[in-house]
Amino acid sequence: MTTTIRKLFPIILLLAVPCVLRAQDLKLPPDIESLSAKAKETVEVNMDGPMLRWASKFLSKEDPEEKEAAKLVENLKAIYVRSYEFTEEKAYSAAEVESLRSQFRSPTWSRVVGVRSEHDGENVDVFFRMENEKMAGIVIISAEPKELTFVNIVGPIEVEQLSDLGGEFGIPRLKTKPPSSKPVAKADKGDQK
Amino acid sequence: MNPIDQNPNPIENALKEALRREDAPETLAAKVLMHVAQKSAESQPQHSWLAIFSRPALRWAAFAGVSTCLTLGGIHYRHLQRERVQGEAAKQQLMLALRIAGSKLHMAKEKVNDINAPRPESQPDNRIPRSRS
Repeated sequence: MTTTIRKLFPIILLLAVPCVLRAQDLKLPPDIESLSAKAKETVEVNMDGPMLRWASKFLSKEDPEEKEAAKLVENLKAIYVRSYEFTEEKAYSAAEVESLRSQFRSPTWSRVVGVRSEHDGENVDVFFRMENEKMAGIVIISAEPKELTFVNIVGPIEVEQLSDLGGEFGIPRLKTKPPSSKPVAKADKGDQK
Repeated sequence: MNPIDQNPNPIENALKEALRREDAPETLAAKVLMHVAQKSAESQPQHSWLAIFSRPALRWAAFAGVSTCLTLGGIHYRHLQRERVQGEAAKQQLMLALRIAGSKLHMAKEKVNDINAPRPESQPDNRIPRSRS
């Protein structure tokens, strides 16, 4: 019996490793969790597949917004959101955000948008995860002077549709300063690997 | 000669005539049978379904059954109510997550559009050229 287990152990290990890696893919970077201690307000949303399916059952078919949301989450595997609002500026360090970003600088992730604004200090990074030339996930890291937001959506998602939700779901569309005002420092776009 | 036949008394003759044997009408038997059936149906006791509760054991069993059903129904209703509340909370969480994701993505889009938008010639362009990282 023991010898059989010993013989099968490498096979079990080989089978287990992808599962463990898969599970790790869905987890949040541990660094971000520690920021909640400093935050004035924290939003934490952890929704995996079954939870998403269950929650989407309660979305109204009559409400156009909820109908859109139901369509959007139909094929999603998980949604993780961490949003921290601080009372003061510089509550988190640039290094902390950088370490967060660095976790998505891997061949599986493509940095699609990277906005750096020295004027208003609003920095946004958008990473796409592609699998077989199809969208398999999106990570958004938004670092503002008093707010840090991390969003990880696992599964295929319509980015345009999701972006539209930003200005339609009760949250007013964010208005940026006109181009004639103070300069916007740096923006990276189309940094696909 | 029969003395009765020779009886000249008219009263006696009338009586004889009245008591003369006569066959019953053909419908009489049917009428009688129908009447008997009607009477027997009326005299039989009514067997209502409620009669089963006349037995105490059955009465208690029915009471226990109804009580169990009501209790289980109440528990199920409470469970459904709780599930609905939890589902609504989960929905709110989902919507909040989508709103946050949407707003941040929208912000990124706006910023990129802002940077790409042409600037008027009159104003100095202090913008640092876009770089790819």
